[in-house]
Amino acid sequence: MPDIYTDEWYEAVKDAINESAGKLADLPEGSFIVAIEISADGLSPYVDTLTGLRRFVVKIERGTCSWYKEVFSKDEEYDMAPGGVNYRFIGPARAFDEIAGGLLDPVDAALKGVIRVRGDMRFLMRHAENVKVLLEAYTRLVQTNWPLGKPPYLDKTPNEVANA
Amino acid sequence: MRDAYDAVIIGAGHNGLTLGAYLARSGLEVVVLERRHEEGGGLATEELTLPGFLHNVHANYHTFVDMAPPVKDLEVRTHGVTYIRPEVQMASVFDDETALVVYNDLDKTCESISRFSAEDADTFRRLYLEAHGYVDLLLGTLMYQPPMSVKELTKALASFGIEDRSEFLGVKLRRETINWFLDKHFTNPKVKAHLAFHAAICGYVNDLPGLAIGFPLLIGKIDNWHLCVGGSHRLAHGLWRDLARHGGVMISDAEVSSIAIDSGRAVGVTLSDGTQISARKLVASTVDVEQTFLEMLGETDIDADLRGKVKNDIRHQKWSLFSVHLALAELPAYKAASFEPDVDRAWVVNLGYGSPEELNVDFEAIRRGRLPGLAKPNAAVNSLYDPTDAPPGKYTGLLRQFAPYSLNGRGPAAWDEIGRWYASQCIQAWSNFAPNINEKSILDWVPYSPADIPSKIRNMVDGDWMMGEVSLDNMLDRRPLPELGQYRTPIKGLYLAGSTQHPHGFITFAPAYNALQVIAEDLNLDKWWNVI
Repeated sequence: MPDIYTDEWYEAVKDAINESAGKLADLPEGSFIVAIEISADGLSPYVDTLTGLRRFVVKIERGTCSWYKEVFSKDEEYDMAPGGVNYRFIGPARAFDEIAGGLLDPVDAALKGVIRVRGDMRFLMRHAENVKVLLEAYTRLVQTNWPLGKPPYLDKTPNEVANA
Repeated sequence: MRDAYDAVIIGAGHNGLTLGAYLARSGLEVVVLERRHEEGGGLATEELTLPGFLHNVHANYHTFVDMAPPVKDLEVRTHGVTYIRPEVQMASVFDDETALVVYNDLDKTCESISRFSAEDADTFRRLYLEAHGYVDLLLGTLMYQPPMSVKELTKALASFGIEDRSEFLGVKLRRETINWFLDKHFTNPKVKAHLAFHAAICGYVNDLPGLAIGFPLLIGKIDNWHLCVGGSHRLAHGLWRDLARHGGVMISDAEVSSIAIDSGRAVGVTLSDGTQISARKLVASTVDVEQTFLEMLGETDIDADLRGKVKNDIRHQKWSLFSVHLALAELPAYKAASFEPDVDRAWVVNLGYGSPEELNVDFEAIRRGRLPGLAKPNAAVNSLYDPTDAPPGKYTGLLRQFAPYSLNGRGPAAWDEIGRWYASQCIQAWSNFAPNINEKSILDWVPYSPADIPSKIRNMVDGDWMMGEVSLDNMLDRRPLPELGQYRTPIKGLYLAGSTQHPHGFITFAPAYNALQVIAEDLNLDKWWNVI
C-alpha cells in the first residue's frame, strides 16, 4: 500500500483512473490539465506548515490520466502546463486527505465551499457522469497508507498534528 | 473620432464599458458609443434635488462587486472606485412597530430573526450556510459563463445527486414559487415577508413559478449589498478610465441609428448625425433587443421569423419601480427602534410588508396596471454609510415602490398626472414608520416614475429595469430568445452583450463578461483574464 501523496500513491491513483476509463461514456475530445493546491491547515501532517502548500498537476486525456507531477512553484506549474491549466481545485489539507481516505465526498466538499473549483464548470456539469467515475477512482479505488496518521485527526490537536 | 475601429460597442452602460475595457486590454481598437451625454447607463448619479445631494437615479445596490471577475481583471478599485458593505444591510419594519434586521454578520441576523421565530432563525442559518458553501461555485457556473440550458442543468444536478446532498436545493425548485419555498421552510409571516421582499428588490417576484430555483442563491448573498462611495456613477467612471487607459474611446452624444451589414456581416454603424464608423472585427450591442433588431437593422438584414419574435415575444418585467429622491436634514428615526435600535442604522428598509400574501396582492394589482392599495415603499439612506453623498449634516433618501409602468389602462403618461401625488403617498408611508420624516426634515424631493425610466434609459423598455423578465422561460439560454441566448446573432460579427442577455439586469457585469468569452472564441483572442 503506497503512502499518501508519494509517487507510488499517485501512480496507483493514475492506474485506478485509467482502469475506470472503460466506464466513461460520451468522452469529450481533447485533454485538460488539473492543478490541485493543498494548503497547510495545522491539522494534516502531510503538508508542512512552513512551506504551506503542496501543488500537483494532472493531465487527463479522453478520460485517462496521461501524467501527474508534484510541482513546487507556480513557475514549475507553468513549465508543466505552458498553456495554463483548465481546472484548479483549492482547499485545506485535511479536506483533501479526507477525500483521498474516502471520508469526505468531493461533491459535498465543493458544494460546501470546503474545496473551491476554478475552471469551466459547464464542462464538468455536462460530463457529470464521467466526473463521478473519475472521482470514484480517486476516492475509493486506491488503498492508501497513512504513515503520519489518518484523517479525520479527531484525536489530535492541530499542534500535535504539526509536531507529529 | 476615427472612422474605423476593431470593435464598435453600442451603449456605455456598465456592460458596454466592461466589454470595451477587456477588448482594449486585448489590444483591439475600441470605441464605445453612448446616446446620452455621459457614460454609465443605469449607473447614473445626479443632483436631482438640491446641490450637493447625490442621488443614484437607477442602480443603487451593487451585490456582485466582490464576486464578479471584471472587478479584479479590470482593476476597478484602482480607478477611484470604493465600496462599503454596510454593517446593517437591510430591515423590515412592521405595523406593530417591530423590526427585523439583516446585518453583515450571520449571528446578529439570526438573533434578530429569532425574536420572531427561533425555528426560522435556525432554518435561516442552515440555509445561509448551505448557500454560502455553493454560492461561489454556482455563480461561477451559472452567472459568469455563457448559459447552459435548464435541461442540461437539471440533468447535472440530478447526476451529482444534489437533492440528496442539500437540504434546500433541488431539481423540483424549477417548478416552484418563492412563496412555496418560504412556506415549506419557514413559519413566521414577517420572516417570510422580509425574505420575499429581499427577493423582489433583486427582481425575483415571490409568486412566479420557477423562481424558487434562484432563491437559495439570493439568500447566499443577502448580506452582500455594497454601496458605491460617491454614487454609483463612480463605477461607470472607473470602467471608463480603464477603457481609456488601454487606448479605448467612449464617445457620448453618439446615438447609433443603424448597423451596417455587408454580405451577412456587421461591418459598422451609422450615427444619427450621419457619421459612419467602420467595425473591422465586431459590433456589440448592449442596448435593448428591440432597438438593435427593429431599429438599427434593416428589415432584410434578419429573417422575418426572428424579426417577428423580437417584435412579439420579448418578455419584459410586468412591474416597474416608482422612486422618490429626497434631500433630508435628519436621519429617519423609526418607531420600531424601541424594539430594535439598529433599524435606525439599516441601509435599506422595507416599510410595511408583513407577509408574502401582502406582496402577492400588490403584485397582482400591479400586473393589472393598478397601484397597490397602500404605498409600501422601501427606503434607503445612503448617507448613513457614505456621508460624501450629501452636504455635511445632511442626507439623501431614496424611496422605491413596486408599481406598474402603464397605469389604469391609460399608459405611462398617466404618471405625469399622479406622480407628485403618489410621491407624497410614499413619503407619508415612510413618515408613518419614522415620524421625523416630515415637512421640516425634508428639504426637497423629486419623483421619478416608471415612465421616467425609459425616457432617460431607452433600454429599459416599459420601465423594465431588468431589461427582460426574470422568469424561468426567460432565463439562461432562453434569454432573450432561444435564437439569441448565446450572445451571438445570426449576423456574423454582431453580438449582444447587454442586460437583455443571461443572466439579467443589475450590476453583475456578467452579460459583457460572458459575451467576451464568445467573442474571444470567435476572434481567437488570448484569454489573458482567464487565469485559473
